[in-house]
Amino acid sequence: MSQRDRVSAAAWLVVRNAHTAEDIFQNVALKAMTKGTQFESGGALMSWAFITARREGIDWLRRQKNAPVCLDDTILELLEQEWANEAAAQGGIRGQALRDCLEDLPAKSRDLLKRRYFDEHACEAVAEQLSARLDAIYKRLSRLHQALKKCIETKLEQPAG
Amino acid sequence: MTLSEEQNELLLRHLNGQLGPDEEVKVADLLRGNAGARAFLRAVAEQAVVVADVERLDQHKPQPAKVVTAVFRPWKWAVAAAAAFVLMAAFVIATTPPRHAAKVSAILGPCQYIAADGKVRDEVKVGTVLRVGDTIRTRSSSAWVKLELNGGSLMTIAGRSRLRLLNVDGRRGFQLAYGNLWATVAQSAGARPVSIQTPTATVEATVAQFDVEAHSMTSIVRVNSGTANVVRLADGQAADVVADHQAVVSARRSRPFAVARQPEPVNEWSCRLIAGSGAVFGKWLPPDEKNSVRLGATPLLIGKKTTIFVANFSVQCSSSPPVLIESGSRVRIRGTTRTEGPVYFGITTQRIKGVFFGKYTAKVGAGALGQAGEPWQVEVPLSQFKPEAKHLPGSPAGMELADIWIVSPDENAELEIHSVKFLPREVGQ
Repeated sequence: MSQRDRVSAAAWLVVRNAHTAEDIFQNVALKAMTKGTQFESGGALMSWAFITARREGIDWLRRQKNAPVCLDDTILELLEQEWANEAAAQGGIRGQALRDCLEDLPAKSRDLLKRRYFDEHACEAVAEQLSARLDAIYKRLSRLHQALKKCIETKLEQPAG
Repeated sequence: MTLSEEQNELLLRHLNGQLGPDEEVKVADLLRGNAGARAFLRAVAEQAVVVADVERLDQHKPQPAKVVTAVFRPWKWAVAAAAAFVLMAAFVIATTPPRHAAKVSAILGPCQYIAADGKVRDEVKVGTVLRVGDTIRTRSSSAWVKLELNGGSLMTIAGRSRLRLLNVDGRRGFQLAYGNLWATVAQSAGARPVSIQTPTATVEATVAQFDVEAHSMTSIVRVNSGTANVVRLADGQAADVVADHQAVVSARRSRPFAVARQPEPVNEWSCRLIAGSGAVFGKWLPPDEKNSVRLGATPLLIGKKTTIFVANFSVQCSSSPPVLIESGSRVRIRGTTRTEGPVYFGITTQRIKGVFFGKYTAKVGAGALGQAGEPWQVEVPLSQFKPEAKHLPGSPAGMELADIWIVSPDENAELEIHSVKFLPREVGQ
């Protein structure tokens, strides 16, 4: 994953909306550029970016009606720490692997992901659109996410070049 | 920890905002205690944003062209121009690399920090961050500073050295005005190459371990792993110095500029004082009846109201092969002092074909120097040299000798050196 994907993903976990998460990332990047202070290391920058993204996400949630229940701060910190550790270990190669894996998906699977995460439809709405049961949608999504996770790991294990 | 399908679905329901308070508590417990659950949640989040990103890009792919009648709408042009300007500005800002910095991670001995705005601090602490324009000086032969750069790279300057952070396009720039520097430039995502300017050369590396000794007329670059590109400033000649090779870069064009393999280490060294090249700090004195070669110790202000008198001799500058320190090695110095007081011998060590290791010193009492004003010859075994830092082992045996220095704290001693030798252990020892 690139740093952008990781920070956006962390913001997504708060707001559950990919477009808002992208906006939050843009705000964080702008703040980082205009902040004027230098970060001592890439780790310090990432740590600041995650915290800033989380705060922006929580602020956004406060302005929404029917906002989803946000995870506890301690859990979000744990997830961010794992992202930061992974960033140091893997750099940006995971993001490309994920994009490659998405390209290999059957059209039906990609359509499901698009409806849920790009069109931002709730699972109930997706079930209705596809004339499927809600449970079936959860199952398909769960398997798809697992398959993509496995696909990335397989690609990362392959020797480069 | 592996996760059941039910647990995965529970997390997806949580993300869909479908759970009641009791199930939310379950989710929180699961995420706190189960790394697999956290990994799955992170994977879903990553996939969600990347799916959106990919779809966003797909929607902006070129569509089949439609023929439409052009209608001039000035407000649309104005909006488009403004958007293009904002995008261009954002691109320029985003692609302008941040200025680099270096953090002091270890320090020993007198150092000075000179900020870019001219403020001077005579005490430098671990954690001090140097930014572009800032300078750090190690002020005595026994001093050293270790710096951490962005991206996991490391640098150490030692002895009498001066390093400044420079603003070099696309590089992490440094100026080593004089002294010794050991650098480990690690490969790291997004990290720019390191560029070091000396009075005679520019050394650039993306991934390498190397050391540089810089003087006003010569720089010596030794590469132990990776590759460094070295440019001679006198004429712009450039060469890649690969692992196990070195380059001597003179300010004079008439001197050859060639990359050569590093010679095999030897276990003794006799500093060529007659040729003069090994003595890197001190002042030459005219020959007298007893000594044709005399190097006088030079005053060195190492802090407020503290001056020492130093003569320093470099192995590399004397054109010697690397010198291996053995357990029975000895340092033999000939010289004179005009008062009865101690002198100190010091050695700088580094790992064989590697990074800076540490400094060791030995005190030579007045009794060992004989009568004041008379020439003395003192031989100090390695075992009498003590480490200058707690983390160092008692003996530097197995390391490489970088330099030897002799110090007197007394101006009236008029310390002068006539011969410097590093001897192997005696046969049968």
